Amino acid sequence: MGKNDSYEVFVEMERDGNGEMGAKIKKKKEKKKERMENMKKEIDIDDHQLSFEELEMKYTTSVTKGMTSTMAAQVLERDGCNELKPPKGTPEYIKFARQLAGGLQCLMWVAAVICFIAFGILMGQGNLTSYDDLYLAIVLIAVVVVTGCFGYYQEFKSTNIIASFKNLVPQQATVFRDGQKFNINANQLVVGDLVEVKGGDRVPADVRIVSAQSFKVDNSSLTGESEPQSRTPEFTHENPLETKNIAFFSTTCLEGVATGIIINTGDRTIIGRIASLASGVGNEKTPIAIEIEHFVDIIAGLAIFFGATFFCVAMTIGYRFLEAMIFFMAIVVAYVPEGLLATVTVCLSLTAKRLARKNCVVKNLEAVETLGSTSVICSDKTGTLTQNRMTVSHLWFDNHIHSADTTEDQSGQSFDQSSETWRALGRVAGLCNRAVFKPGQDAVPIPKRDVVGDASETALLKFTELAFGNIVDYRNRFKKVCELPFNSTNKFQLSVHELEDPLDLRYLLVMKGAPERILERCSTIMIKGQELPLDEQWKEAFQTAYMDLGGLGERVLGFCHLLLNEKEHPRGFGFDVDEMNFTTSGLCFAGLISMIDPPRASVPDAVMKCRTAGIRVIMVTGDHPITAKAIAANVGIITEGSETVEDIALRLRIPVEQVNKRDARACVVNGGQLKDMSSEELDDLLRNHPEMVFARTSPQQKLIIVESCQRLGSIVAVTGDGVNDSPALKKADIGIAMGISGSDAAKNAADMILLDDNFASIVTGVEQGRLIFDNLKKSIAYTLTKNIPELTPYLIYITVSVPLPLGCITILFIELATDIFPSVSLAYEKAESDIMNLKPRNPRKDRLVNESLAAYSYFQIGAIQSFAGFTDYFTCLAQEGWRPLLCVGLRSAWENAYNQEVQDSYGQEWTFAQRLYQEYTCYTVFFVSIEICQISDVLIRKTRRLSLFQQGFFRNKVLLSAIVFQLCLGTFLCYCPGMPNIFNFMPIRVQWWFIPVPYGILIFIYDEIRKLGVRRHPGSWWDKELYY
Amino acid sequence: MSNKEEKPADQNQSTWKDFIFNPRSGEFMGRTASSWALILLFYLVFYGFLAGLFTLTMWVMLQTLDDNAPKYCDRVPSPGLVIRPKTLDIVYNKSDSSKYSHYVQHLESFLQQYNDVDQDKKQPCVSGTYSIQDNETLPKNSCPFKRSLLGQCSGLHDPNFGYSEGKPCILVKMNRIIGLKPLGDPFINCTIKKEGSDFNMVYFPATKNFDLMYFPYYGKKAHETYVQPLIAVKLMLEKKDYDNVITVECKIEGSSNLKNDDERDKFLGRVIFTVKITE
Repeated sequence: MGKNDSYEVFVEMERDGNGEMGAKIKKKKEKKKERMENMKKEIDIDDHQLSFEELEMKYTTSVTKGMTSTMAAQVLERDGCNELKPPKGTPEYIKFARQLAGGLQCLMWVAAVICFIAFGILMGQGNLTSYDDLYLAIVLIAVVVVTGCFGYYQEFKSTNIIASFKNLVPQQATVFRDGQKFNINANQLVVGDLVEVKGGDRVPADVRIVSAQSFKVDNSSLTGESEPQSRTPEFTHENPLETKNIAFFSTTCLEGVATGIIINTGDRTIIGRIASLASGVGNEKTPIAIEIEHFVDIIAGLAIFFGATFFCVAMTIGYRFLEAMIFFMAIVVAYVPEGLLATVTVCLSLTAKRLARKNCVVKNLEAVETLGSTSVICSDKTGTLTQNRMTVSHLWFDNHIHSADTTEDQSGQSFDQSSETWRALGRVAGLCNRAVFKPGQDAVPIPKRDVVGDASETALLKFTELAFGNIVDYRNRFKKVCELPFNSTNKFQLSVHELEDPLDLRYLLVMKGAPERILERCSTIMIKGQELPLDEQWKEAFQTAYMDLGGLGERVLGFCHLLLNEKEHPRGFGFDVDEMNFTTSGLCFAGLISMIDPPRASVPDAVMKCRTAGIRVIMVTGDHPITAKAIAANVGIITEGSETVEDIALRLRIPVEQVNKRDARACVVNGGQLKDMSSEELDDLLRNHPEMVFARTSPQQKLIIVESCQRLGSIVAVTGDGVNDSPALKKADIGIAMGISGSDAAKNAADMILLDDNFASIVTGVEQGRLIFDNLKKSIAYTLTKNIPELTPYLIYITVSVPLPLGCITILFIELATDIFPSVSLAYEKAESDIMNLKPRNPRKDRLVNESLAAYSYFQIGAIQSFAGFTDYFTCLAQEGWRPLLCVGLRSAWENAYNQEVQDSYGQEWTFAQRLYQEYTCYTVFFVSIEICQISDVLIRKTRRLSLFQQGFFRNKVLLSAIVFQLCLGTFLCYCPGMPNIFNFMPIRVQWWFIPVPYGILIFIYDEIRKLGVRRHPGSWWDKELYY
Repeated sequence: MSNKEEKPADQNQSTWKDFIFNPRSGEFMGRTASSWALILLFYLVFYGFLAGLFTLTMWVMLQTLDDNAPKYCDRVPSPGLVIRPKTLDIVYNKSDSSKYSHYVQHLESFLQQYNDVDQDKKQPCVSGTYSIQDNETLPKNSCPFKRSLLGQCSGLHDPNFGYSEGKPCILVKMNRIIGLKPLGDPFINCTIKKEGSDFNMVYFPATKNFDLMYFPYYGKKAHETYVQPLIAVKLMLEKKDYDNVITVECKIEGSSNLKNDDERDKFLGRVIFTVKITE
């Protein structure tokens, strides 16, 4: 299987490029195909076939002394550092330029240019009355640049998170140069270097093995196979990927020691080539990016539409061209929500921060929301769903299956340990074990300690340590005389010990191994401390237990022991494991112990949460189908009562073919079956079986599964850690890399990194993502509302020719100063209902900004706000001497800079500057009206359905402080000396603050009525039109 | 208006044409006729209510206003100064009457309200004191300002106001502001801004001051017949001054509550104009 798997990597990739899968990626197809060809060619490495002499010749090196340092320096200069180059990113200036060239930004540029032109023309004509246009142009450009910088900074920061991951631990390697052993940074290695790799190290480059002692590597990051592979100097296969004498870059050495000559470094390594291939897979646009783009387009379109319409209206009414252009500009400024992009970015980064505290680091801000719309999670098993640590889970002795405690913190129930048999079984497990704890870990809880030894021995060591206490001491009491390590031919391990009691001179032989092999050597069985003859009845009991445990997907070991006959084996007997000069049959069977990598304690809950949240969890693992299924059932991916086709067949005693496939909710597919499946078949499978487990899959097949899910319209989250996962991670709507076990390539390709590798963290992420979608909706609704009271002054100004009620600079202050904080504060709003009980949103139907949201904000709340503004505006004018009817048609006299004696309704004569300050007073009054209404607006936006009294006014402290801030800032702008001439704010009379208050209350009451109607009559006309 | 809100609707599912009118479902712009009727009715009621509310508040607000004086005079604490003829650049050829006749006509028509016949009907006031009339009687009495006070610039003796002889009259007038009571004894002082040119200026009335009896002003409804006091300045230009652009600044002085040096407002208590006369 292993060999097939490793070859599969390339078979799969090839299919991607040429087969029907690749048809989707049409653009890249040709290029990819070409690269594929190159890759196939390059894989023709012949280094594994060369003899050591030829190798030495080829790389000017020595298999004993290594290279000379001068030669190494030369080669380093030629080949460059031994590291994977990150995929070529977009140049920084382009990234920055992109931030400045969005839809809204372009509009702002246009507005700024119009301002400049207007300013230029006025100056050219010599009738410059104010620098407002120039001023406004500069402010507009500043706004674009500042928001651009902000966005760029966000992007830059998230890129840096990844960079910091990379530089965390500079890898060290042991190298021989000039015949001496050095420890150098792995990136300084060159082709031809002689390196030494030992257990726990990462292979620093592609290495041709020269010598090896029980050297085993974990190729899972390359091929996905989780079984350790042994590596020896012998050339075993023509294919470089299958031969045993090459160890690949970035794979880890599990045990043993080896030396080897480096044959490839950096990007020329196999993994480097795959990593560069991964960058060819297109990155999917995040749903929120699509939403925002969609909505920015509409806003930009509407702004241009409004601007153009009123440009035409102004021209027909008889305004001059330049004036009409300025109107166009002003309408654009009024209609474009300048602060919106900043708000969205801040909201998302707030959530990203919140997530980071919960161990999810988000690389791409928009991914925060993607998580919320996720409908399928393809999860790894090992490490994500499980603890990634073999643990004893069941024991069989005294003809009973006992469950052991598999929880991470040993909080579970243990079995009854009073039986004599248990003591015997435990003794065998403790003694017949070569694993030892790494030193200096006394403070660490036993399950978390690092161990030298293979997985099952580790599990047994920890188990016995927990059961008996200090196992080192225990082993010392039973002095070991000899031992035979486990090997694959006899499939057992034995050791001989002296007894604890110094007077008892017998030797104790303990043995563990494959249960059937152990049973063969036994003639008795220990039941309740009594040795009973092992008759057929016991054998059958053994078989049942063995089958039961195996069916749970657990790794089962048998244990037996024997007190050796003192006469045949007296003290000082020369035990020889090669000769086997001692009794190894007729032993006493003690019991079975089975082990599994148990699920993390939080996972079943998390999977359950996913299920209630309408998210499908698909397990994709390289592990054995039975184990995969057992874990899936354990964590709830396969629910109780769900059956696979095979289960039904077994239950009904009919052949698999006769089972109605629709009856089976669950389905376990292994990689072999998947390979022969067409994409339609896979789609069918995914459609018909809600509970899917893919076992024995290679990471490449993950990509196929992801694509299939996406074809079915799902938003897919994928977890992965290996280099080969990176194409799937990129292809997924949201790629989630594992922070602990993940490779750099995976982290690079992912959108999010789970620092604790825990599946449950994804669910937290989903919750936050859904919350932010809701809250963004509220934020946007809040932000959009004020565009109408900003726009209507211009429309009235143009059509009715009243003095301008609201200036462009004032608008920018509302957009970018006073209203930013409240709109961001909505991101802190708690969910209205249990969002984890709802289905994921349908990206095609549940838009971020939908028709009713826009209509409600613009035409209802926005309209009320406009009326509030105009009420305050006309009141202010009337109380200063300009009655409403006089104002109509007043504009040309009002704005005539040469008319210093315009009469108001009372016969007073006003100079131009006096009228201008009155106009600024109007701006300020209108500004205050919008602010007051926006306070009401931010309150009503706290909920979309619930009454505000149900949600609580004071729950969101940030929002309250935002309102206070908004009021303070408004007051400051109004009453700070110097403001009139800088920002066109005037100190206004206190009572004008209170004129819009009734409108604010009206907004509040109206919205409460709306929500009441929505709650009381779901599905009614009211609900459809007014619920956003 | 309402069709704007349709735009966000899903465009990629149906084609553009279908969106405008879908013959299968009878949908126009994404809504059926009845749906349109309902939503339009809703908005009609909604805006009707808002407009009603707006009208009501406006009406209430207007009821609180005084007919005679504005509630506040925050933006007009100090009056502006303007001149007649109503321009800041007086340019003409003194030998060509068509070039200055519009100035003359303008002055003549402006002075119509100051005709002695009309002004004589008014009760004379006490010079040098405010004409305070805080009682309720309407209309308020306004003090006469006779055109003849302007002497050579009254147009009574010289119908051309000196324009034909190259010695034009300029009338300086202070903006009306309700309730304004100038302190001290405000007078007009004009200076020639450009150095080198120097000529006489003759003021009418010769005291150059605005008599306090013309203040305060009670608003156009209560003070229907009110006329503002004027000061005429006759620029005694000579031949050497012809063809030059002469800048003259007139300021109001002698009163502590009439500002004449505001940085932003160049017309507050002062006025700058240019004169250029050719032969």
